[in-house]
Amino acid sequence: MDKIKIGIPRSIPYYYFDKKWTYYFEKLNIEVILSPKTNKKIINDGLNYTNDEMCLSLKIYMGHVNYLKDKCDYILIPRIENYGVADQTCTNFLSLYDLVKNTFKVKVLNYNIVLSKRETEEKGFIKIGKSLGIKTSVCKRAYVYAKAMSEKDKKKKHLMNLKKLLSSKLKILMVGHPYNIEDEYVGLPVLKTLEKLNIEWINAYDFDSSITNKLSSKLSKDIYWKYSKELIGAIKFVEDKIDGIIFVSSFPCGPDSLVNDLVIRKINFPYLNLVIDDLDSLAGVETRLESFVDIIENAKAKS
Amino acid sequence: MKTQKQNPNITIAFPRMGNYDIPAKYLLTNIFDVNIEDIPIITNKTIELGTRYSPEFVCTPFKYTIGTLIESLENGANVLIQAGGGCRYGYYSELQEQILKDMGYKFQFINLMSKGQKSLKKIYQELKKVDSNFNPIKALYYLIITIKMVKYMDKVDDYIRENIGFEVVPNSFINLQKEMLNSFYRSKTNIDLYFKYKFYFKKIKKIKINKPSNHLKIGLIGELYTLMEPFSNYELERELASYGMSIKRYTNVYYLLFQKGRMANKYVKYAKEYITYKMGADAADNIGRTKYLCKHNYDGIIHIKSTFCTPEIGAMPIISKICQEHKMPLLFFSFDANTSEVGIKTRVEAFYDMIEGRRQ
Amino acid sequence: MNEYYLGVDIGSISTKGVIIDNNNQVITSLYIWTEGNPIVAVKKLIRELKAKMPKDGKLLGIGTTGSARKLIGLMLGANVVKNEITAHAVGTLSKHKDVHTILEIGGQDSKIIIIDNGVVVDYSMNTLCAAGTGSFLTSQAKRLGIPIEDFGELALKSKNPVKIAARCTVFAESDLIHKAQIGYLKEDIIAGLCKSIVLNYLNNVGKGKKIREPIVFQGGVSKNKGVLKYFKEVLDAPIIVDDDSHLMGAIGIAIMAKKNKNHQIFELDATDVLFETKGSECSKCSNNCEVLKIYKDHELVDTWGNRCPKGSE
Repeated sequence: MDKIKIGIPRSIPYYYFDKKWTYYFEKLNIEVILSPKTNKKIINDGLNYTNDEMCLSLKIYMGHVNYLKDKCDYILIPRIENYGVADQTCTNFLSLYDLVKNTFKVKVLNYNIVLSKRETEEKGFIKIGKSLGIKTSVCKRAYVYAKAMSEKDKKKKHLMNLKKLLSSKLKILMVGHPYNIEDEYVGLPVLKTLEKLNIEWINAYDFDSSITNKLSSKLSKDIYWKYSKELIGAIKFVEDKIDGIIFVSSFPCGPDSLVNDLVIRKINFPYLNLVIDDLDSLAGVETRLESFVDIIENAKAKS
Repeated sequence: MKTQKQNPNITIAFPRMGNYDIPAKYLLTNIFDVNIEDIPIITNKTIELGTRYSPEFVCTPFKYTIGTLIESLENGANVLIQAGGGCRYGYYSELQEQILKDMGYKFQFINLMSKGQKSLKKIYQELKKVDSNFNPIKALYYLIITIKMVKYMDKVDDYIRENIGFEVVPNSFINLQKEMLNSFYRSKTNIDLYFKYKFYFKKIKKIKINKPSNHLKIGLIGELYTLMEPFSNYELERELASYGMSIKRYTNVYYLLFQKGRMANKYVKYAKEYITYKMGADAADNIGRTKYLCKHNYDGIIHIKSTFCTPEIGAMPIISKICQEHKMPLLFFSFDANTSEVGIKTRVEAFYDMIEGRRQ
Repeated sequence: MNEYYLGVDIGSISTKGVIIDNNNQVITSLYIWTEGNPIVAVKKLIRELKAKMPKDGKLLGIGTTGSARKLIGLMLGANVVKNEITAHAVGTLSKHKDVHTILEIGGQDSKIIIIDNGVVVDYSMNTLCAAGTGSFLTSQAKRLGIPIEDFGELALKSKNPVKIAARCTVFAESDLIHKAQIGYLKEDIIAGLCKSIVLNYLNNVGKGKKIREPIVFQGGVSKNKGVLKYFKEVLDAPIIVDDDSHLMGAIGIAIMAKKNKNHQIFELDATDVLFETKGSECSKCSNNCEVLKIYKDHELVDTWGNRCPKGSE
């Protein structure tokens, strides 16, 4: 028999689990097919399978699912409701699974994380392994391995970020969800432009989330979105070490619409708020980045 | 600093939604010894103000509610209450408080939610801050009456919605309903309220209607604020009724507070060939309702929401799919602060023509 | 004496009028710009149609449709006032009995109508936003300094349409300016615009609708050859554009005026009547409704926009 092939869309949840999934399936001897980096075709297909008002990231996600639909046995789509009552997700994380099931004729491998109801990540991973006919004990061992490996990766990222903070270049904290920042068409062009401008950019989400999650309460006492908390907590973590902040969000992101507005009212930094809507109008972004860098350069020269 | 009236007395205000300001005011006046501001009716000015001070791509209820809070502050309110719901509505409070402070207003802000969740302890602590003489036993007594009031209001409302399109004398339902709500507001005890409810419901049922047995029936589903605040949906229910259609709407405050917890799971099970999980806010409820309406001889479904309402946006493709499979006419409306009223009327008229044409 | 019926379709950009006979044949028609003033436009329309109407006939019905249908209906004393979706369906069915899909792009609105056995079974309109409609095309044409009449021809010359982000008017405009600035060919930009209108339409209005042949394309934009070309290309199907495609709404409403039983003899005297509207903010309660009062020969005939009876006093 052929190896089972699991398709993973390189979009939204992927960026929160990436290596953990790969390590896990590798240990179980299951082949993973990752959709390619976002390209024009993926975006156009995504537009076809979504409606107008959906956020850009969700449109891109559906494009990735479409790419995988006839290339694998299952597509992996978790549903993540919360990591505790004060650590929820945007409602798109709740509807992703059912949305895909209703849009495409595909087999979906699914797990559900609702920590407030004791549906843990570990249970989820074991569930997908079991549904593929693998013994619980084997799944468990694979999960422990995947978790340990991914913790190691995370630690590395955190240390890298700390090192970046020591750089003598101008330093900008990137406050945006990883699925936006690392997307070939949304955030990467921004990062590339910053590199050209000789800027040291630091991703807010690469810091240790157990630190940033707690720190978020200093900017917002009532926030209950896990991923937003970790982003704004990072602002507090590095506030005396950076020269500016760039907020990157996809239009019209629900949590960002409120959280970024609140944070901008409370911080004392030069900031730039980039809302990426239509991918073809990215050209104007370059101009805005250049002038933003000018502003923080001037501010630094004065002080 | 804005033109906030200096007010030595504690004066409470809160955002309004439909007729629910009446039970809310009833509860607050009876448990506190303070003034309750007459909540200004939502007008074009409210939404203009709201839009000016809101983040750009926030959902529309944020704009309506902050608009009302600003108007209330200008009228002399100094204690504001805001609640929340199961989506980003739960986070409105903190940002609205910050925006109003940045505008220069002085006030105390009571957020009934804690991290997006209902918390009795938090509510108690907050209320104690408004009035140190706050008596929880007395509050509980009036809370029970208020809950009953909401229940009765919603029951009568359901009946009116199904029949108002067929009234013989214009405004007979609305006028009697107004009278009923005024009388509810003066209730002192549970029994008192109950008899008033019986009395008026009987009277309302006697209102003369001319309802053909084969009348058109439509179901109205969608996002809660837009469904319940007529200004925000451009008085869609009135427009629909004027065509002589009977309207079914599930969402009301009583449902959200006391039935949703139980019903949401039932809806997911009922629509299990389409969904496996709850999808945030009322999305799964609306998917279940869509299937129900399709199976129960309704002539059409209208789904309304405010622009950018994320949970409903996620539910819409599935609602479309169910309607397509059942050949059910479906109309979507996404309302914002400056939706064209002519555009709405044209769409409603065409929808009516279509479902009527299909009947024949 | 011959019997005739008048149909008037008043859109935001253009005003269309037709006179038909008992066999639904168009006797005469006219297409003029509304120029933001439907009353003036309709007066002009009536004056010219009256001159063109055969002298041996009498007018038995008037119907109005389009976004100003109510106002003009009142002004002309029309016996039928109906929305443009129904009117378009009726008009198209009179010429193409087996039509399944009507694509329509007008000045402010665009719509899709699905017909089964001569009955409208589904329709959808743009989400109350002007992106991808005629007025959007017109304003972009002006911006690029090209007469809107030449727009379609020019688009056909392009070999490489530029991709324009046309999901929203504001975004599209900034994208367009940018592309023009960095030196794209004008015809490629125009072709890109035409293509983006098609894609945007199918993605927004046409989303989830089963587009089956025969397909009829109408509304003002159907005269644009560039848009038509990309509709054919994207849908990969033949598309019918009637010579009277821009008049379908007016024809439809004229037919409905004919079918309506309340026939009477109309004199086309609207040109002599003093017809005025006055907009004001009602101050009778805090609702501050924007009220529009309609006067015919200085007499108040109707009030719109008020949410309660107070405003019409």
